[in-house]
Amino acid sequence: MEKLKISRGFTPKLTGKPDMSLIRLPFPSTIGCSAGDIPFIRPKLLVKEGQSVKTGTPLFTDKRDTSIQYVSPATGKVKKILFGERRRLLEVIIEPDTQDEFIQFDPISEATLAQMEKADLVDRLKQGGLWQGLRQFPAKDTAEPDHTPAMIIVSLNGNDIFSPHPAVVLKENMDAFLTGLALLRRFSHRLVITAREDCLDDLQNLSPDMGGLITHVTDTAYPAWNPGAVLYQLKETQAENSSWCISLAHLVMMGQFLMTGHYPVDKIITATRGEYNRPHILIRQGAPVNTLTAPAAPGGMVTTGRFNGRILDPVTHLGFFENTLNIIDGAPEDEMFGFVRPGLGKPTVSATFLSSLFKKPAQMDCTLHGEPRACINCSYCERICPNDLLPSFIMKALHADEIEEALELGLLDCCQCGLCAYTCPSKIELAKILADGMDSHYKDSQYKD
Amino acid sequence: MKNPIKKLFDDSAHLFTGDGKYKKYEPVWDATKTFFFLPSPKTGVMPFIRDSLDLKRYMSFVILALLPVTLFGIYNTGFQSGRAAGEAYSILKCFMVGAWYVLPMIIVSYGVGFIWEFIFAVFRRHKISEGFLVTGLLFPLTLPPTIPLWQVALGISFGVVIGKEVFGGTGRNILNPALTARAFVFFSYPVSMSGDIWIAGKTMVDGITGATALSVTGFEGQAIGSALSEAGYPLSSLFYGLIPGSVGETSALCCLIGAAILMVTRIANYRIIIGGITGVIATSILIWLIPGGTETWANAGPLYHLFAGGFLFGISFMATDPVSAPGTNPGRWIFGFLIGFLTVVIRVANPAFMEGAMLAILFMNVFAPLLDHLVIKYKTSKRIPNV
Ligand code: SF4
Ligand code: SF4
Repeated sequence: MEKLKISRGFTPKLTGKPDMSLIRLPFPSTIGCSAGDIPFIRPKLLVKEGQSVKTGTPLFTDKRDTSIQYVSPATGKVKKILFGERRRLLEVIIEPDTQDEFIQFDPISEATLAQMEKADLVDRLKQGGLWQGLRQFPAKDTAEPDHTPAMIIVSLNGNDIFSPHPAVVLKENMDAFLTGLALLRRFSHRLVITAREDCLDDLQNLSPDMGGLITHVTDTAYPAWNPGAVLYQLKETQAENSSWCISLAHLVMMGQFLMTGHYPVDKIITATRGEYNRPHILIRQGAPVNTLTAPAAPGGMVTTGRFNGRILDPVTHLGFFENTLNIIDGAPEDEMFGFVRPGLGKPTVSATFLSSLFKKPAQMDCTLHGEPRACINCSYCERICPNDLLPSFIMKALHADEIEEALELGLLDCCQCGLCAYTCPSKIELAKILADGMDSHYKDSQYKD
Repeated sequence: MKNPIKKLFDDSAHLFTGDGKYKKYEPVWDATKTFFFLPSPKTGVMPFIRDSLDLKRYMSFVILALLPVTLFGIYNTGFQSGRAAGEAYSILKCFMVGAWYVLPMIIVSYGVGFIWEFIFAVFRRHKISEGFLVTGLLFPLTLPPTIPLWQVALGISFGVVIGKEVFGGTGRNILNPALTARAFVFFSYPVSMSGDIWIAGKTMVDGITGATALSVTGFEGQAIGSALSEAGYPLSSLFYGLIPGSVGETSALCCLIGAAILMVTRIANYRIIIGGITGVIATSILIWLIPGGTETWANAGPLYHLFAGGFLFGISFMATDPVSAPGTNPGRWIFGFLIGFLTVVIRVANPAFMEGAMLAILFMNVFAPLLDHLVIKYKTSKRIPNV
């Protein structure tokens, strides 16, 4: 087991760490299949309102590759199809029956797995609605089935600091996990399995084999366990730029799917808020947000991660890639003379508040703590970037439309951890600017060939 | 109950925003409002939580770091003026006399500078930047207390307009605006900026000159160290700062306190300050090792070079202005070091032009982008390319 250290990064001292227990929530009255969290996809609907679907019936597909399907996590009737701006598909909402009727495939044993044609395996995963769990760098789009990645990174920890604990996820699912790993070995010679240092003990208590499986343990500083940060630490050649990654949840789902032959419908999530230490939650895929958490106070928001992810409307449903909910409250009101207060309870990277002297965890709100200003070249963003980037220089290159320069500065190495924008005293939306730059470059390069 | 000040702003909001009667003056209204109430709009995109530091607080810390030199500058101005008059003023009187000279300079600097800021904010429709809080105080601190106020007004106008706004405003300027202002006054009105002008007061008792330590040289083989002591500038006075000079830069001690505040809070980049001090020490030792010239500043050694003149003030408060300094860490080391190097070289090579620190910083400001460029070229060559 190798130790991976990021050069910078930062973990604010936050309250609200979920505890290790697990509760199951009752079956929700609507189930959604969301397209909101899937990057780059151009969805094409396959069902109509009122149509009956089984668990595992394809609901929509990706126009770019129609063999990749997004399937229904429940059996029932299509209640509503929700569109956003320019008729972009947001969600397909199902009114579920009490009984599941599965689209059934033949189960695949580990032995068959080793002998099956790779193309057949890919097909099976695509039909089962799980292929998209594998994602390809640098843009983290759906993996190209014909590509042989130099490595596949399995990060046992999620995108947030308080994402589900891998030991909770693995507790009942060790077999599925091992089957999943056997599957990945068919796609790449090199599997990189990472766990955050503070999860290691729990994982090893779960199974003594874990020590042999985990190839790298990462720092506890955010975002050391992010696959993008892991790749940056590991990569030595240009070929490794197009490696793949997969989350623990999706790997387990793939294992379950192969073992049982039907779409795995359960999901473990965390829903954190302020200073409450809540248990992990076991729910049905695609459960509505408002059954998982109480609404945020006025001025607050529900997001799928503190540093990245998206803002969720409480009436929508949790997406395929999402397993963390944060309720972030707003600030009470504008503070009088806010800029000269001692700031005991104000978390900061800098040393300009008294809070930096103490280690007390704080509750953070979803306000900017200031107003946007021009970049003053202070390098706070560089000082915190886990992947040694110069975010302000990349931002300026992008603003000047100098894509080549931005790429030379390492734009595609950005793992979108959001730390640069977190720290910027001028409140510049660096992470968003870089992410947009990367996405538009990626889309352009896709159309070229 | 609602905060009455808050109520005032809320009640007047309709006049200054949207189609309000005084829409034109929104930047001023907004700047005043945000001075009282730190605005905290909601985050719209990831990350959804943000650090508590903002530019207002950032700049407040520079002001905080400038307080020791400012207060000492006021005191020292009074003290020197008492000395020139042949009287020993009480502490209170020192402050009062000092304030009589220094406060008008600060007020004019802020007042005139603020008007320009406001004009450009209205013109360009942007918010008034906090950066000016620093520029407006830095500039008067680099001036002699005898300077005519109209020159202060002209200087700060030049600094804000030519030093900053023509480049596109805060964040885009190449030169430090306060230094640009100071350089403008220095070159346009040399009489106000050199010679026996460093003590404010009407009468001068015999034996007291209003010259600075940097204009001292030994004669007929007298070593510079003893010449300085004789002229009333022993090392300790240079360190504590009870000597004639620009308002804010005489006390090395106060400058170092300011530098420490800036470095500990990580508002200034320590690499620039440490690099600069290293540059002065290394260069002055090197030159000191060259035989001959005992009576000139070539022989002054590192401590005199550090404590005399405006070097410590410049390196702590001017060179560390992040906008006009390099944005890469190796660039900052080189930038600081070369400022130290050039300061000493100018002092030694050009006795007619003793205050090297100001020119060194302005000169290096111009080269900061080049330093960044070289560092980035090197850095990118080390990256595994991903296209
Ligand atoms: S943290 Fe913000 S202000 Fe500072 S250099 Fe980066 S982008 Fe510019
Ligand atoms: S540039 Fe910003 S978002 Fe990208 S890796 Fe660095 S800190 Fe994270």
